[in-house]
Amino acid sequence: MSRRGNNVRGPTSALTEFLRESGINPATIARRVATRNQPENQPQNQSVAGPSNLGDNVEDVPEEEQPDENTPQASTRTRRGRGRNTGYASDELDEPAEESPVKQQKSAKGRATAAAKAKAKKKAKDDGEYEGSSEDEYRAMSKNLWSVGGNGSPKPPAGSFETCARCEKQFTVTKYTMAANPPPGYLCHHCAKASGADPFKKPAVPRKRVNAAEKRNVVSYQERRLPSLATMCIELITRYIDDVEALGDIGAVNMDEIAKALSKNRGLTPQNAHLFYDVLNKKLRFYDATNLTPDALMTLASLNPNLTHLHLDYCGRLTSPVLLAFSTSMPQLTSLTLLGPFLVRAEAWIEFFKAMPGLRVFKITQSPRFNLECMQTLADNCKDIGELSLREIGLMDNEFVDPLCSLPSLRVLDLACPGIGMDEDGWMKIMGKHGSTLETLDASKHEGFTDHVLEESVRENARVLFELKLDECLSLTDEGVARFFSNWAYPISALKDEDHDMDVDSDPVEVSLISLEPFTPNPPLRVLSLARNQALSSAALTAAIVHSAQTLAWLSVNGLRSASSEALAQLKTAKELRYLDAGWCRELDDFVMKDVVTACTKLNEIKVWGCSRVRGVGWGVKRTIKVHGIEPSGGM
Amino acid sequence: MSNDVQMNDSGGEKQDDWVKITSSDGYSFLVKRSVAAISGTLKNMLSEDSSFREAIANTCPISERAAVVEKVCEYMSFKAYYDGPGSKEGVDVNEFTERIPPEVALELLLAADYLEV
Repeated sequence: MSRRGNNVRGPTSALTEFLRESGINPATIARRVATRNQPENQPQNQSVAGPSNLGDNVEDVPEEEQPDENTPQASTRTRRGRGRNTGYASDELDEPAEESPVKQQKSAKGRATAAAKAKAKKKAKDDGEYEGSSEDEYRAMSKNLWSVGGNGSPKPPAGSFETCARCEKQFTVTKYTMAANPPPGYLCHHCAKASGADPFKKPAVPRKRVNAAEKRNVVSYQERRLPSLATMCIELITRYIDDVEALGDIGAVNMDEIAKALSKNRGLTPQNAHLFYDVLNKKLRFYDATNLTPDALMTLASLNPNLTHLHLDYCGRLTSPVLLAFSTSMPQLTSLTLLGPFLVRAEAWIEFFKAMPGLRVFKITQSPRFNLECMQTLADNCKDIGELSLREIGLMDNEFVDPLCSLPSLRVLDLACPGIGMDEDGWMKIMGKHGSTLETLDASKHEGFTDHVLEESVRENARVLFELKLDECLSLTDEGVARFFSNWAYPISALKDEDHDMDVDSDPVEVSLISLEPFTPNPPLRVLSLARNQALSSAALTAAIVHSAQTLAWLSVNGLRSASSEALAQLKTAKELRYLDAGWCRELDDFVMKDVVTACTKLNEIKVWGCSRVRGVGWGVKRTIKVHGIEPSGGM
Repeated sequence: MSNDVQMNDSGGEKQDDWVKITSSDGYSFLVKRSVAAISGTLKNMLSEDSSFREAIANTCPISERAAVVEKVCEYMSFKAYYDGPGSKEGVDVNEFTERIPPEVALELLLAADYLEV
């Protein structure tokens, strides 16, 4: 109301606009409330419900037209009048000009009460408080509108008889009786319920305002008026970078620490990177090279000509020319590790491999342009390669198998998270070629890495494997992995005698040949990851622990949600365990954890995200263990 | 209102005591607890919830030489003075940067990284 005093009007909803056009405002409503006991005034005030239902009900309830004659609104009235003169409501509906007002009114009719309420609410919000006098008027009104039938007369007194508008049975009016929607008339209790409305619904209680003082003071960001000391130092170092003497003498160990500190602040820039450059440098590692431009990376290559090991994390700006500059400026380079060289094109990789036949270690993560041709060139040229890591290579598919198999025997093979991946036969070939020398294998997210690959080729070939990562290999099954781990320590032929359900088609000559060789089982694993293999469960976990308990130092069983607490309790036999990720093992609880941390005295880091039964109480250990992920209010 | 004042007083008393920071070459520096709390690492060391020896003795050894520790303490005091909730005056960053001798900058960076300041 206060808004009406001035001339400022904001955008309004269609409903508000309609109400205003129809002349419905708080004043008329208030007047209506005051005079609603006088029947002769009623039709005049019933401007909303009256005309709006006309189109629908003109045929069913002829007497309903009665109040419309008194409708005061000129605009609607003329239309209505014309409509009624045609004598047929559907004609009226067909007129395009009529369509929109009718629709508008239809919606208005349905929400008449809601509208009043919403308006009141909006008002109250605008005024900033709920206890305005206008608010009371509105709520009284809305109730009134709800209970008033379509014919505009007030609801009959409780106890009187009415005929239900829908089922046409007689019923007794109570205070819960509702008006029919669409009007006119009232509904009996059954019909009211059947229509989906709750007769006993209480009017919505306005929400209590939260006191400003009670509101939590959320700090969404902290204003940093003063840069941190680390930032200041980086700035200072950058400023004096040309005057290396001024910065004092720093050992090689500290260099790495400084590199880390700089990276943590994303402070490594083309200017201060010179701090780490030296003609005699053999190894260089940058933890965050985001700010190094292609030119700066070329400078890196020319100022460190004797580098043998180069490791760049976040080298997003490393382009094809930079890679070629690496190959020309750093001829001694044998080990290259890059995280995120996604700008390098296939031709540049090929050139690089041709120029660097001495490469021993090649590890890249995320290079979407690394294709089959690159792989083929790598295999053809780099005959000394021993460690290969091609993580998250989008184009890796079955075609990569042949070049991979033509490589010399690898010690480290990491093909995790490919775009497409190899199939079962491909993995059989790869393991057949490299299995006997592999120390580290990561086949995460390979659907082709199946039980069969494990049981046949890994078991048969692997002799020095100590790190096995099989995250999210969805083809693995609980039984298959369990069988693999429980049989791994025994020669194949022994298995053939025991296990009758093994394949019978392999010829007996081969078996005898294998059994003739002196059998050296693969030593127990030191690192094992079976994370996010939801099919795996207690049997696989138990078998894996039994197999590798002696040496297992790093274990991730994240996401083995159905592993039983008995199986998890077996972890206590892994005395060498230092790192454990048991996230989302839902059966893990404090009793198991107590046993594990008591027995595994070297354990220093545990992750138990999503283990809702672990509350971190009663473990009874005094050692410092980093524990991540205990829910503060975890339910038992 | 009177309650508020009292609480501030009792909180203030603890914030007002002094803690000792020692350097590896035997120098010690006394700073207000509130100043030391600017460093995340020192704050945790001195936290009452922990039973660290540092918290009990109110003494934090920093394994850096005195020149570096001195600058760290200086920075913390500087920050405590200018970063306080009341002070709205502009901070001249150069005022402090100029006071760092370049020869300790690298060591100071490592110390700052460790101490989270």
